[in-house]
Order: sequence, then structure tokens, then C-alpha cells
Amino acid sequence: MAYVSMGEAHRRITEYLNRFCDAVSDQDSLTLCRLLSFSSNSPPLLSLADALNVFQDASSLIGKSDKFSEYGEILAHLFRSLQSYRVGNLVEAYLAFDKFANAFVQEFRNWESAWALEALYVVCYEIRILAEKADKELTSNGKSPEKLKAAGSLLMKVFGVLAGKGPKRVGALYVTCQLFKTYFKLGTVNLCRSVIRSIETARIFDFEEFPTRDKVTYMYYTGRLEVFNENFPAADTKLSYALQYCDPKKERNIRMILKYLIPVKLSIGIIPKDELLQKYNLHEYINIVQALRKGDLRLLRHALQEHEDRFLRSGVYLVLEKLELQVYQRLMKKIYIIQKLSDPARAHQLKLEVIAKALRWLEIDMDLDEVECIMTILIYKNLVKGYLAHKSKVVVLSKQDPFPKLNGKPVGS
Amino acid sequence: MNQGGNTQTVAPPLDPNSIEQRYGVDGSQVQISPYQYSTGSDGASWTAPRVDNQVVQNGNGNYSNPNYYHPQPTVPPTGNVQETPYTAPFTSSSTSETANVAQDYSGYTPYQTSSDPPQNYSNTVYSNYYSGYQQQQPSQSYPQPVGAYQNTGAPYQPISSFQNPGSYAGTPSYSGTYYNPADYQTTGGYQGTNYNNQTAGGYPSTNYSNQTPTSNQGNHTSNQGNYTSNPYQSYTADAANTHSSTVATTTPVHYQQNYQQWPAYYSQTEVPCAPGTEKLPATSAASQSFPVPGVTNEIPASNGQPVPSYAQPWRQETDLSQPPSQQPAAAVSASNDAYWMHQTQNQQAHYPVPPQNHYQSPLETKPLYKTPFQGHQRATYPQEMNSQSSVHQAPIGYRQPTQTTPSVDTQRVSKVQIPSNPRIASNLPSGYTKMDKSNSAAGATQTPAYVSVSMPKPKGHATAVPEPGTLPKSLCGFVERAFARCKDDKEKASCQVALKKVITEARDDGTLHTRDWDTEPLSTVLDTDVTNIESSSTLVSSLQNKSPTKRPKSRWEPLVQKPFVKSPSTFSSGVKFGGWNPQNQNNKKSFESYQKSDAVTDSKSTYSWQNSAKKSFQRPVKRQRFSGGAVATAIDDGASSDSDKDLTPYKSSPMSLATSAEETKRRDSRSKRFEKVQGNSRRNDIPRPNNVGNLHSRRGTALRLGEDFDESGCRSVEDIDWNALTVKGTCQEIEKRYFRLTSAPDPSAVRPEDVLEKALLMVQDSQKNYLYKCDQLKSIRQDLTVQRIHNHLTVKVYETHARLALEAGDLPEYNQCLSQLKILYAEGIEGCSLEFAAYSLLYITLHSNNNRELLSSMSRLSKEAKKDEAVRHALSVRAAVTSGNYVMFFRLYKTAPNMNSFLMDLYVEKMRYKAVTVMSRSCRPTIPVSYLAYVLGFTNTSSEGTGEKETDGMEVCSEWLKAHGASLIVESNGDMLLDTKASTTSLFMPEPEDAVAHGDKNLDVNDFFTRTS
Repeated sequence: MAYVSMGEAHRRITEYLNRFCDAVSDQDSLTLCRLLSFSSNSPPLLSLADALNVFQDASSLIGKSDKFSEYGEILAHLFRSLQSYRVGNLVEAYLAFDKFANAFVQEFRNWESAWALEALYVVCYEIRILAEKADKELTSNGKSPEKLKAAGSLLMKVFGVLAGKGPKRVGALYVTCQLFKTYFKLGTVNLCRSVIRSIETARIFDFEEFPTRDKVTYMYYTGRLEVFNENFPAADTKLSYALQYCDPKKERNIRMILKYLIPVKLSIGIIPKDELLQKYNLHEYINIVQALRKGDLRLLRHALQEHEDRFLRSGVYLVLEKLELQVYQRLMKKIYIIQKLSDPARAHQLKLEVIAKALRWLEIDMDLDEVECIMTILIYKNLVKGYLAHKSKVVVLSKQDPFPKLNGKPVGS
Repeated sequence: MNQGGNTQTVAPPLDPNSIEQRYGVDGSQVQISPYQYSTGSDGASWTAPRVDNQVVQNGNGNYSNPNYYHPQPTVPPTGNVQETPYTAPFTSSSTSETANVAQDYSGYTPYQTSSDPPQNYSNTVYSNYYSGYQQQQPSQSYPQPVGAYQNTGAPYQPISSFQNPGSYAGTPSYSGTYYNPADYQTTGGYQGTNYNNQTAGGYPSTNYSNQTPTSNQGNHTSNQGNYTSNPYQSYTADAANTHSSTVATTTPVHYQQNYQQWPAYYSQTEVPCAPGTEKLPATSAASQSFPVPGVTNEIPASNGQPVPSYAQPWRQETDLSQPPSQQPAAAVSASNDAYWMHQTQNQQAHYPVPPQNHYQSPLETKPLYKTPFQGHQRATYPQEMNSQSSVHQAPIGYRQPTQTTPSVDTQRVSKVQIPSNPRIASNLPSGYTKMDKSNSAAGATQTPAYVSVSMPKPKGHATAVPEPGTLPKSLCGFVERAFARCKDDKEKASCQVALKKVITEARDDGTLHTRDWDTEPLSTVLDTDVTNIESSSTLVSSLQNKSPTKRPKSRWEPLVQKPFVKSPSTFSSGVKFGGWNPQNQNNKKSFESYQKSDAVTDSKSTYSWQNSAKKSFQRPVKRQRFSGGAVATAIDDGASSDSDKDLTPYKSSPMSLATSAEETKRRDSRSKRFEKVQGNSRRNDIPRPNNVGNLHSRRGTALRLGEDFDESGCRSVEDIDWNALTVKGTCQEIEKRYFRLTSAPDPSAVRPEDVLEKALLMVQDSQKNYLYKCDQLKSIRQDLTVQRIHNHLTVKVYETHARLALEAGDLPEYNQCLSQLKILYAEGIEGCSLEFAAYSLLYITLHSNNNRELLSSMSRLSKEAKKDEAVRHALSVRAAVTSGNYVMFFRLYKTAPNMNSFLMDLYVEKMRYKAVTVMSRSCRPTIPVSYLAYVLGFTNTSSEGTGEKETDGMEVCSEWLKAHGASLIVESNGDMLLDTKASTTSLFMPEPEDAVAHGDKNLDVNDFFTRTS
């Protein structure tokens, strides 16, 4: 830490105070954002933090002028937080920031216009990020991380401030998205439901009125929730919306959306082009898509195993696993086509043994009982048209469209 | 608890002394005094009965409910409509609420010991405020908050009454010391305005002049004449309002309550003859007390609103027959938002009134009923002005706004007053009649006792108030720092005393606002002599701590930070209100509309806030229960010394309110007695008489601990050192029945670890049935828990129990064990964690069917875990289930390691049904039953099984198929076949045969007997 003289520290703090108060009185949201955004680690903020650590008694500075003391509480907590943040005491920084955020939100409530929405966004973002960092610190100290949860309830409070009539309501979706991020991180996804309900049912909200950025984020998270519920059509619409409106320059975001959209699309029988996977670096899906194309069960299983952790964490594992049935279907179709080439008359009769043999070639060992089981399931789920003659161990395919395509509908519908 | 208290309260009237003690608990009794005065010296009989009523009501909302509350809606004139309002809101909302209120009071009682009456004012506000909160908490639905508003409104009355005795009864000298700060914050701005008004023209507003000129007597009589018809009308009008407002069914109730509340206020106001200026302080108080942002916002709005409706109320006054409630109706104007507004307005109306009472009652020590009140008031004014002016002169930042906009204030004042006046007039008579009735009903009681009682609460509050609110910010910081240095309550108490001293000194020499508190050395405050501090001071200190810490969470918070306010305290809200005024005037219209639109939002946000604050309030509720118990016990003891001790804190030193010299004397002596006792009783809300046993005392300490922590605020309940409260068992019996604890554990009934180990072995070797074992294991678990034993034994016990539960299919018990085991494993205690990981995986896949949970538990499995046989098995079962692979499932079922098959058992039925459905849909034309029996696990696959066994399985299978509606064909060679086509439509899932009505088949009658025998 560079040495900062007392006078210099005093100057920096006063300057900051002046800028803060001016920003508020001028309703200059941008400046205010810059003054509050910790995680940007901007040089002015860092130097201010150094100054604060030198000049410990900043609160007296605040109290000296009426102009400053009007926001005394806000500033005092902010300074304390910044100070702790600079020294790396993140838990303390969080606690102080939490107080600051509370004070700020109260102040925000009193501002009639929504000029400070951007600043509020910054506060919401920072509190979440700080909470995450504080939790990391807590866990490394062997304590139970709870700050993110606290941040969640604070964000909920902010949501309450914004959710109402008036110009501030357009900010509600941003807070909602921050809440989503918090809840997804905490694994308390079910808490999203109440927020979603108020967003989607409250008449004060017109979804189109929200900023696109927030709409995309919102659709991304709600789409993910639908993936959890295996409600593929809904997930498809939401994620597609997110993809459509996502800023095309934000490749990372697009990739995040695709990570969920691809499995969803696959489950409803839509296979992406390889270029897409290449472009967005979604290598983990390449083999799966390949397996689906070829009917290669082994490849699918390998791909699943290879990226098991990743798929489990992102929550698409079960979705991908269910693609097995489609792979079986493709395999059957292949067998059927081959049979047709050799003996078109009896091509619609697939012997279970033949299927078992094909599977053995794929190094998958299944006895006839199991194959029969799989076939019944395929027929039951309408992936194969026909019936299974148990006695003769033969699958008799329908002569018309024996392997119906999903055409955007989920399996089994 | 409440009810018990109620009955007690009802009885007491006969014994004045006992009544005193009992009711002493309730601070709200202060009201009595105003009533007495207002009624005048009509005779002791007047006041005395009155007191009774109030006392009863205050003490226990419940009691009053049946008697007073009910009659009101139907027959407004008869009941004590005016008086009851307090109780009515409480009772109507819920018993718990009443309990809360009582609790609050008890909690605050300690304050009484502190000897500054003047400050009570703001404090009471607090208590009321808190009670309001608690009430709201229980219910999260929207309507309730509304109710809560009303409730909070109700409490205010007491407050106002408190204020009166405090500020006015007190000699002017008070204002110099404690009174100033308190008033300052709360009413400061307004008082200032009042002052202006008074100086300007005494009663500047024309509206007022009308009322004032008429002698009280005149008003009164006329009112009385109108009374019968008027109150009733007003009531109906209110009801109509409610209906018109879009709010759902709940609203009517609220309105009624409101209405009832109003009358009370009105009756009070009547006496004063409504000096407009005096009302102002009240309004300011109201704004303060209404921490809810929405409310505060609305207050200004209401000010603005009155303008249109202005004329109406006024007319009403002249023409009494008109329903006075029209004004609110206009405000409502039928939108939801309006509804809120309306309420606030109502509340506002309430508020203005109480202060008036204060003024009058305290000032006139023994006003005859018929004496012209105006004269009295005038006399009062000088006094008031003095105190107020002195207050104002203290250099406070926010004073300025108020001063600069005096005209605004006056205007507002007049507006506010106007609405209330007409009602007051009309309502007054009814109040009187009611009083009569209540008097007769209650029997003769002694007023004085109550009066004295009422004082105590305010004191505590008062002490708390000055520091955060009135003082400069830097001083607040100073105080905060000082407290932060304190390690325990004792230190805090001493620190507090020292702080008080320092601050008073500073104020006296005028350096309060000039001194640099940031640089003030803490040493002056810390390191003071602790010995002198009495228990009472500790209590006070705890309260003080409480108020600052809680405040940030309070509803007023939003207010605090409005631009005008420099100090973070809640008290400044009044000031802020003043600040709003200019705006109000300038663009009244826009402001109004803004507020209207925002009203709903605000309420919502408040609501959300409540949620977040729930946690903090839960504690108080608990405490309340406890303290309620204390009260109850005290009552049980009647007039015994014990009860005295318990209740003393509630009682305050005698007030100057005494109606007669004799009275004063008596009160004096009584209070002295109390004072003595106060020193001894540390915490009155802990039931002493019952405190004999070890258990009780321990629990008491726990609770006290909790309280301390709660009050000191900065530390949470979780920080309590529960270790200190851990039980060490001494019981040597190996066998012990499980009994759910209803009290703190008794060490003599708790087995130490070595005995528990034997007990576990005994259970494991026992040949008795599961119910016996479960019972034994539960008692072992309980003993482990109360002794906080977390080690391998604990793991073993839970594992044993989980396995036994699995074996018996007792899933609830199994789940309990599993969740405990997860915690224990997470603590790093060795056990069969993999085995149970497999169980939990199976449980999630087969029973909870929650994808997210499944994913997270799968991703939590380590590489080694996945190599474990049981876990691998569980994973394959999951795969089989998710893909619907019944063949695989039943193969795994037969090869299940550990107790996996027991968990799978619970899914077998479903899996079989699914499989048959799938097969009958896909296979044509038939499937042999033998194949089904083999695939669906009815037979032992192992070929070693004899033919006999296979037929057994066949039979079971065909039975099962028949039971599920499958159609079977018998072939000529005797083979049974499943007709798939016919079965497709006929299959169904039969009702489980062994289901019992209570859902637990384990608990059949025989087992029940074996359990109890």
C-alpha cells in the first residue's frame, strides 16, 4: 500500500464525499454507480480505501458538513465497508455493505423518480458479489457460510421496494435476476417461485416494459427451472427467447444459454449443427449429438460418463440420459434399413436377437429380456410403431412410418 | 395465558389494592387519568368506575372484548365505545396479539424504575409500536397488516395519555433535563409550530375558534343531546365507507375497529375544546409512531387531502345529525390505494386527539367537569410554551425546517384538526354514557392506583429516547462506540449511567451540539463505578440498547433518512414530516397523487419488511409468553408479597395527577413501597414463585439469556452459549421409555454416555418388536441430544435406528435418522456413510422424485463413493428407474446389498404396475404369466429354486395381475397368459389393502397396546 499522507487522505475523502453528494443532488446515476461499484476495483476507489485506512476518522469529516451528514449513515457504512474490503476482511466488508445497502435503499425509497435505479443495480450486484466472497472467506475459516443467504433476503427487500406502481417498477426484474443468481448458487431454487409469481401475475408489471438485458436473464433462469422440471416445451420457449434477444456480442452468455437449450432441443428431437457447437465451444455436446445421429449408444454413454460432473452440476445430466431412447430408436432404424436392403419383404420384422447382436457390437451386453424390455418401452413411448410378439421374440414394425419423428414434441407425448 | 389473566382482572375491582398490583402491569392505564380529568370532578364515582373499565381493558384485551367490543358494532351508544377501542382492536385480531401487547408492557416495566416521568412519552410510543409489529407478524396475509395498523393505532392512545402526565404533570424543570430530548424528537417540530400558532392568535384557525368559544359545558351538553343519534350515524357511515372501498371482506372489520377507536379519541378531545395547536403535536407523534413508510408518506397526503373535504367535516360539526365520517369516505373514494390512505387518515385523526387530553388533564389537577376548559388550557399554555420553547432552543439541525415553515405548519394543523373536531363532539356524549354503564358494571374501584401505575412505562422509553434521537449524530456514534466497548450487561448499565451523565452535563452547559463527540474519549464513560448501578438501571440500559438496535429494523426506518433528518434515529420522523410540508404546499396536487399511487407500494414494502424482520420479532413473542406467565402467576398469588415483587416494576412513582391530596399521599406511600421492591427484583418477568426447581431455574436462565441477547441486539440468539446449559445425566437405568419433553430435561432422568452404550446394545440384541426398539432408540436419541453428545455412539444409534426403521418400513423415523446422520457425517464422525449415501440416493430416486435433489446428491458423490458396491447398486437402480427398465430393476432388486432392497420394496408395486402397463401396450397378442412372474420379480431367478417355488411365484403373480385388472387367459395346456390387448384398458392401480385410516399401518391396535403396556 502506497504511503498516503494525512492531508492527501483527507483530500481524497473529501473529494469522494463531494462527488457523492453532487451525484445525488444532480441525480447523476452514472457517477453514483462508479462511486459505489466495489468490484470494479477502480483506482479512485482503491485510493480512497487507502486514504480511509490512513485517515481513520472519516465519520467526523462526514459530520462536519451538512451536505455530507445528510447522507451520513450511508457514507459511514460505505466507508467502513470499503475499508474492510481493502484490507481483505470480506466478512466485515459485507456486514458494513449490508448496512450501507439498507440505508441506501431507504434513501432510494424516498426519491420519487427512478433516476438512481442504475445505482441501486450496482448496490444489488455488489452485495451479492460481496456476499459470495464473504462466504468463501467464512468457509475457508471453517465457519458456515450464510452471507449469501442474508444477501438474498436483502435483495428480496429491494424487490419489495421496486415492486409497485411507479417508474421504479422497471427495476424489479433486475433484482429478480440477482435473486435468481443468489438462489441458484445457494441451491434454494424453490425460493424463485414466489418472485416469478409476482413478476408473471402482478398487473403492475408489463414484461415487455423491462429492459431487454433483464428479460434475457430472466428467461434464462426460468428456462433453467423448466429444465429441472423436464418441461421441455416451456424450457424451449424461454431459452429460445433468451437466445434470440441476447446480445450477440456476449458470447459467454450465449454459450450459457446454449448449454441448456441444446439438451432441451435434443430432447424434442432437434439436433444442432456442429458449427454451432464449435463456435460456442460446447465440446461436451459434440459426442452426444454424434451418438444421436448415429444411434451409437456406446458413444452416448461414454460422453455422459466423460462429462458426468459437468452435466450433473449444470443439471442436464438426467435430460441427456433420457436421450438413450432416441439413440435406441436410431439404432433400430438403422437395422431396419439394412434389413430392407437385404430382404425388403421381411424388413419390418426385427428379431430381438439381431438387436442384441447389434448392441454387442457396440460393446453393450444385454440379454434378450432386457432388449425386450427396451423395445416395449420404445413402443410404449411411441418412438417405434408396431408391436412386440413375445412368443417369437420379434418386433413387428408398422409398415407406415415405423420410426416417427419427434418434431418438436417431447418423447412419450 | 391471556384468558387466565383476564379472569383475574375482572375479579379484582373488589379489592382496590390487588387491582392496583395487577393492573400495574399495564402501562396503558395512564389513560385513566385523562379520563378522570376530562369527566371532571363529577365525583369520585365517575372517575373510579372509569378507571376500572380502562384497567380491565388495558390489562387484558380479551376480557373487554366480550363485554364491550361486541355491543359496540350493533349498539354503538350503549357500549363503552369510546373507551373500548383499545381493547377491541387487540382482541379482535387475535389472542396472540393481546398477549403480545401484554408482553410488551411487562418488558417495559423495568423502565418504570427510572425516575424521569417526562420522557415516558416517546417511549410509550415505542412499546406500542412494537406491540403493533408483533401482532402483524403472526399473519402474513395482507389484510392483517391493515389490522395491525389499527392496532398500532390503538396503542397510541395510551401513549398520548402517558405524555400528558409526563410532560405536564411534571414541573417545568423536567423539560430542562429529560423531558426536552424526548419531546424534542417526537414532537419537537410540531410543538414549535404549536408555539407559533399560539403566540400568533391562540387559536388561529377559524375552525377552531368555533369550537373553542363554546364553553366545554356547552359543547358537552349539546353533544350529549345529539349523542344518541349521532354516534350511531357516524358508525354506519363508516361501515358504508368500508364497503365502498374495494378492499375485501376484511375491511369492514377494520373499519369498525377504527371507528371504535375514534370515538375514544373524540371523547377525549372533547374536553379540551380542541385547541388546534395542541393537536399538532399529536399528529407529529402519530407520524413518528407510524414507522411504516407508507403511513408516513400518507400523512402528508392526508394533510393535502383534507382540503377538499375540509368543508364537509366542518359542516358536520355544526350539524350534528350528519354522519361525521364523511370525510374519510371522501378520502377513500373507492380505490385500493384510497383504502390505505383512508386508514392513515383515520389514524391521523386519532392522533391529534390524544395530545389534547394530555394538555388538559395534567394541567388541571382537579378540573371540575363543568369548568370552562378554555381557561384551563390557557393556563396550561404558558407552561407548555415554556417547556417547548426551551426545547426548541436547543440547537438541533432539524429544528430549522420547522421554524422556517411555520405558516405551513399552522395550516396543516388546522386541517388536521378540522376533521377530528366534529366527530369528537358527536362522539363525546356516547362515551359518557358508556362510562356510566361500565362504572356500574365494574363496581366501585379505586382510580388512584391506576394512575400511578400508568406512569412507569414511559420512563423506560424516555431514557432510551434521548440518546439516539435527539442528539447529534456524532453523539450517537459516541454512544454506540461506548456500548460497543461494553462486554456485558453490567458494564453497559454502568456505561449507560455515565453516558447519561455526560450528555446531561453537555446539554446543561450547552455543548451538546457543539462538542466534538467523535473525539470525545470513551474513558469518561467507561470505567465508571458499576457498583452503584441498580438493577433498574440495568434494565433501562438493556432497553436502551434494545431501542437503538431494533430501530433500524422498525418501520420508521424509511422515514429516518429523509433529507432533513440528520440524526438516524427514528424520532426524527416527526421532523421529516415537517420537512415535507413545504413541498406539500408548493405542489400539493402532485404530491398527493404521488402518494396515492405509492400508497399500495408502500404497504407492500412494509409487508416485505415485516417478513425480513420476522426473525427479530419472533423472540419477543416467545418472551412475551414467558412474561405473560409471570403475570399470571403473580395474579394467582393475589395480593401476596410475591405478586407485589413481580409487579412492582410496572408501577411508577406517584404522579402529580392525583385527584386529591389523600390520593396522592396514598399513592406516595405505595410507590415508595414499590421502589423498595424494585431494587430487589431484577427481572420481573421471570416467575419467581415457581422458580424453585432446578429445571425451572435453568430454563429461566436460558430465557433470560435469550432476553439479554435480544435486548442487547447486536448479538443474535445463536450466539448464546448453550453449552453452559447442557445437561449431564445421572440416570443409571438402561431401559427408558421415550417421552417427549415438555420441560427442561431433568438430569436424574437422563442417562450418561456409558449407560446409553449399554442401552444401545440391549436394543440391538433385543428380540422384541420394532415398536419397542423404536421407543427405546428414541429415548436414547433424546438423551444424547440433551447432553449434546456428538460422537461415534450417536452415529451408531442413528444408524441402528435408521436400519430398523427401514426394515419396518417406518419412513418418517428413517428420514429423521438420515437427516441427523447427514449432519453427523458432515462433522467428520466415522460411520457407514457410504451405506447411507446409497440409501439416501435410493430414497430420493424412489420416493421423493425430485430431479434437482437427485442431481445434487449424485454430484456430491465422490469418486470412491461411486466405487462402493452399495452406491453403485443404488446408482444403477436409479438408472433403471429413470429409464423405466423393469427388467434391470428387478434384477437389481434381487441382488441388493445391505438394506437397499427394503427401500426398493416400497417402489416394487409401482414398478410392476408400470411394467405391466408398458408390456400390455407394446406386446401382442399375449404374454405368459410365467414370464411376467419371472421378469417382475415374483419368483426367485436363481435357477436353483425348485419348480414348486416357481409355481408359488406364478400364483402370486396371477393374483397380483388379477388384482390390478389384467385379463388372463388359460391355455389348453394350463399355461396362463396375459391378454395384452384387453388388459391395456382394464389395468388399474388398486387401493392399498392394508391402508389404515390414520395412515400408519404400524400403529394397529395390538401394537398400540404393546407400546403402552
